[in-house]
Amino acid sequence: MWVLGDRTQAPSGAGYALENRLAMSRVLPSLFRDTHVHRLARFFQSLRAGLNAVAPGDADTPRVVVLTPGPLNETFFEHAYLASYLGYPLVQGDDLTIRDGYVWLKSLVGLQRVDVILRRVDDNYCDPLELREDSRLGVPGLLEVVRRGNVAIANPLGSGILENPGIMPFLPGIAKYFLGQTLKLNSIATWWCGQARELNYVLANLERLVIKPIYRKPGERSVFGHQLSRAQLADWRARIKARPALYVGQEYESFSTVPALVAGGYEPRQTVLRCFMVARADGYTLMPGGLSRSAPQYGNMMISNQTGGISKDTWVVATEPQHPAIPAKRSSSLAGHGNALPSRAADNIFWVGRNAERAEGGVRLLRATIKKLFSNPDRDSPDYQLSLETLLRCVTSMTGTYPGFFAEDNESLLQSPEAELLAVVADESRAGSLANTVNRMIQSGYAVRDLWSSDTWRVIDEIEEQVSEARRLGKIGLWSMQEQMDQLITTLSAFSGLVMESMTRGNGWLFLDIGRRLERGLQLVSVLRTAFAMPQSEAAETRLLESLLDTSDNLICYRQHYRSNLELASFLELLLMDPNNPRSLAYQIARLQEHVGKLPREPSTRRISAEERLLLEASCLLNIANIDDLLNVSESGIREALDQQLSKIYALLAALSDTLTANYFRHGDAPQSLS
Amino acid sequence: MRYRVTHTTTYRYQQPVGLSYNEVRMQPRPCPNQQLLSSQLKITPLPCDYRTRTDFFGNQVAWFSIREPHREFVVTASSEVQIFPQPVQLDFSHGMSWELVKEALWNDRSEPLLEARQFALDSPFIAADAELAAYAQASFTPGKALIEAIHDLMQRIHRDFTFDPEFTNLATPLTTVLEHRRGVCQDFAHLAIGCIRSQGLAARYVSGYIETLPPPGKKKLVGADASHAWFSVYLPDLGWMDFDPTNNQLPGDRHIIVAWGRDYSDVTPLKGVIFGGQNHELKVAVEVENLGA
Repeated sequence: MWVLGDRTQAPSGAGYALENRLAMSRVLPSLFRDTHVHRLARFFQSLRAGLNAVAPGDADTPRVVVLTPGPLNETFFEHAYLASYLGYPLVQGDDLTIRDGYVWLKSLVGLQRVDVILRRVDDNYCDPLELREDSRLGVPGLLEVVRRGNVAIANPLGSGILENPGIMPFLPGIAKYFLGQTLKLNSIATWWCGQARELNYVLANLERLVIKPIYRKPGERSVFGHQLSRAQLADWRARIKARPALYVGQEYESFSTVPALVAGGYEPRQTVLRCFMVARADGYTLMPGGLSRSAPQYGNMMISNQTGGISKDTWVVATEPQHPAIPAKRSSSLAGHGNALPSRAADNIFWVGRNAERAEGGVRLLRATIKKLFSNPDRDSPDYQLSLETLLRCVTSMTGTYPGFFAEDNESLLQSPEAELLAVVADESRAGSLANTVNRMIQSGYAVRDLWSSDTWRVIDEIEEQVSEARRLGKIGLWSMQEQMDQLITTLSAFSGLVMESMTRGNGWLFLDIGRRLERGLQLVSVLRTAFAMPQSEAAETRLLESLLDTSDNLICYRQHYRSNLELASFLELLLMDPNNPRSLAYQIARLQEHVGKLPREPSTRRISAEERLLLEASCLLNIANIDDLLNVSESGIREALDQQLSKIYALLAALSDTLTANYFRHGDAPQSLS
Repeated sequence: MRYRVTHTTTYRYQQPVGLSYNEVRMQPRPCPNQQLLSSQLKITPLPCDYRTRTDFFGNQVAWFSIREPHREFVVTASSEVQIFPQPVQLDFSHGMSWELVKEALWNDRSEPLLEARQFALDSPFIAADAELAAYAQASFTPGKALIEAIHDLMQRIHRDFTFDPEFTNLATPLTTVLEHRRGVCQDFAHLAIGCIRSQGLAARYVSGYIETLPPPGKKKLVGADASHAWFSVYLPDLGWMDFDPTNNQLPGDRHIIVAWGRDYSDVTPLKGVIFGGQNHELKVAVEVENLGA
């Protein structure tokens, strides 16, 4: 076995190894029981103990955070996975701030001191004041806190220097000099070109060596001499000669193969194994396992995730049965975060809630509209046409895809609405469209990937698939989407149900449900206003009522309740005032009032919060409203009271969203470098 | 010679700045021919956290953070130094050839040479490329004494390049300076260092001040001075020796050293990360007063 390289600053892969293992043990539990496979949990316990041990001072329970470059990073999934498994908050650079010589986490309840940072950001990017000033991934002032010994970073800043492959040929000498030992695992033969003899060897044998730069840079890969043309070889020789110290030549070894399942059969694939160690006071704990990665094609020696490598669970088999380690303290929900939920995470959760609800409400209305469009027997009656047009305008106002069906000269649009409806479903680039809303929901969800259980995440994946399926079907025609809409409603409901049942009722859940209730209230108000502010014939309104009750999943409820023909007064009663109908406005406002009352606040303030004031006003407006007044048509020919009350309530709810953002999610100004 | 140097940097912001982190390298460092008599740093608004330290290269650094909202940020460094003149005239034709120095630099493991070796490598602002090597070549003819080659290089830069504060800024790459033959003292220092490194030799960047003399018969204008930069080369028999390509001279007793490093990025006088502020306006005033012998 040859060592190909060392990863010393922020090695990725341990989380993937863990995920592979958990997936395998779920699929093949009996195989694990019978083969005595060493468990991985102990390694992660050592990691947690190691992180506690490096904490400065004598904090009993040091606060550890996982610092990630963010969701755009290719290994973000692993950062989230590890953070969730270890129970540490996942943070980005601007979730942290430096004050009084310490690092603090900007959480919902104010600043919380951070003792240890598990670092997944390259060292150069960690402090824009002293290191790369163009970095937006770090924390200005972090180096000074490290210098004062007030925070520990694992692995320490600067440890990346040991990844330099130019060191490899010197390792046997280093081991002998410092430890009086020979290496237990030999490195692959490597020649550092910073020395004359080695340089000449590499230049003379370039066509059969692997050329590596001494620093890894994004986008830079190893070059295989045997794949280069004559001209390319000459080019590389010149490049190496110009700066020999920047390159090494490495022996080109054909890697061992493992069987891989390809197109239903077994085929050999070249494989590399990544092993992991964590430091203890008296040595190292080795992960009994690792991440094996194979090339996508036979004969390919360039194995990396970016080029489509496959990863495999790797077992170390024991002679004795392996007893489960004491289970690691896991937090698949928000429990591990407690009050230390970063403001940014709360912001993202809030938007997951809002966009999930926006998507669900949107699909329901779209489904009802498409149904009406394609399956109505009396499509020639003017009442049908009127109610359809109103419904189409509701689609625009609820999704916010203006001008849509409100456009001037919209006769032709209202006559053949298919293209516009398709765009509202499938046009990702259009703000408010279903595809766009679901994308935003998934983006926000991904940024707090560590907070969702694996079941929840599977449902999120499914939502994404169903939306792309709907987009694909859209090319065939609007009518073909109906079934897809049914499925999407089921999956979106599954998401809310899972979250409802599996998330701890901490601050994270509060913000999720606030987002959801707020959005549901806003949607309801805008639909009711669009549908009924302008009175129409009773027959047209009755048809509209039916579609809207269907939309809000309230048709059955309405029939049980009123056992009567559809009429607007009872409809408004049910959807505006009924405190027991989970889709009514009164219900949303009552839940919002409960939630907002539980939000963390400055303890000194006695007065009601700005959020509470807004909701109190909305609740009063709703309570004093009288159905008869609301239905009254004024001289101008519209239901003025209904229009005004609803528009006031809409403004109050919109203000609530802004106030929450200002009070809880504001990340402050973006930093800039002075020059 | 004794000098008092006052270096004032003022930032005015369009919007208030609520939080800033800064690093200042404005206090003259200790070095063999220079003694710091007194030094103070005045910062407004008052920092809430302030520490000083010596950096990797031995320069004096002040690190601080300001938490008071402000629209104007002023840093004034005032120092008094005593300069002991270096022996200026040397016989340039003697001394080790540049090839021998290069040989020693890459093979000798004595501490000063190991220390010097890091200044032969590329640094953030300086990558020694083929163009720099081509320009340098005329000065590094076979067998020439290193000190003579460097002196020749300095003279050529002074002759070939035009001092033009309008042409370059901090972001101008060295290739542009070389192509257009224009720049300021920073560019010329970077250029010379790049040329020297392209030959496999070590050179470092020096920041500081220079006493400017008024035209004969005129009174010196207050605030007419500026910060200055030049370079230094390691000579195995003499140690580090400074060269000023902007003024085509070997610094004597009119150059005041503040800091040195691989290039400008190691010795930036004032660095900062601010939150808020939007656009800003920057004013720098330097005054070098000669206090006599």
